[in-house]
Amino acid sequence: MNPWIVVGILAGLVIVATAIGLVARSRAGRVQEVRGLRFVKRVELDTDLPFGSMATFVQFSTEMCSRCPGTKALLVRTAESRPGVRYIEVDLTHRPDIASSFNVLQTPTTLVLDNSGAIAARIGGAPRPEAVRTALDIALRRDHGHYVI
Amino acid sequence: MATTSSKSSPLAAQPGQKGIDPRGPRFGAAITTVLLAVTVVLGLVGPSVVAGTTLAQRLADPAFWLLAVITVLFAWGAFGGIQSHPYGRFFRAVIAPRLGKPTELENPKPPTFAQLIGFIIGLAGIVLDLIGVPYGLVVAAAFAFIAAFLNSVFGYCLGCQIYLLLARAGIVGRGGKTA
Repeated sequence: MNPWIVVGILAGLVIVATAIGLVARSRAGRVQEVRGLRFVKRVELDTDLPFGSMATFVQFSTEMCSRCPGTKALLVRTAESRPGVRYIEVDLTHRPDIASSFNVLQTPTTLVLDNSGAIAARIGGAPRPEAVRTALDIALRRDHGHYVI
Repeated sequence: MATTSSKSSPLAAQPGQKGIDPRGPRFGAAITTVLLAVTVVLGLVGPSVVAGTTLAQRLADPAFWLLAVITVLFAWGAFGGIQSHPYGRFFRAVIAPRLGKPTELENPKPPTFAQLIGFIIGLAGIVLDLIGVPYGLVVAAAFAFIAAFLNSVFGYCLGCQIYLLLARAGIVGRGGKTA
């Protein structure tokens, strides 16, 4: 094979890998506001921890997730600094059924629930502290607990 | 019903389980990235991309042997644990003392699982080359190169991310502690 083609293929691989890395980095930890009312029940998460009276972080993790412990530390710190905000970690290692019902494709994925247990925001990937504050503010702005349905 | 509800930390380190320096696996991935780039280049100029070669020709291909060595090293990390991997030992003995303490420790399970994914891809390349599929070796080495590059340059563990997709496809994670 022509050596220039070989060099070109190698350069192409480096460019593709760099592009994947940059896209993954820019998408990771982005906050998506979730409209509508998708209420989360504790039985769906297989947890008996209570939800927060103001908001709840639900972090989906697996044992094979390298960034989950860092995200957990950040979310726990944030939850402890705000009254009425709680943190729940859900281990998907042996529970692909829970991953499917919340359409989780990557870990960590974080749902931020409002005071009624409805999903207000979703963060795919490891978030930065600003993203966590933004998502929490979205949840705290909503007030579904007082809706009369 | 117990594991996800155990007090707030189902994934905390087990007693006696030690965290590892996360820079160790990244250092190893950097070496693997270079070796896989060399494999791709050797593969492209060798018999593995030509149809109709004999087994003897393909066995004399340095790209084949280099990928075989890389795959054995992946197996070492996957089945012996990432801490016992030679790159990890070299990192701890020679590199880590010059860097200072890590800011955080990491669970060894994710990088160990990523080594298993690397092993499977490397093995696929070797088998495809042995049965005479043109470009099989180069394509496998290219995929592994991208994963190792992302790990070393961006600290993004592609192999770790694949775990959840495999679990959802029902390939891993069944029959576990809660399911």
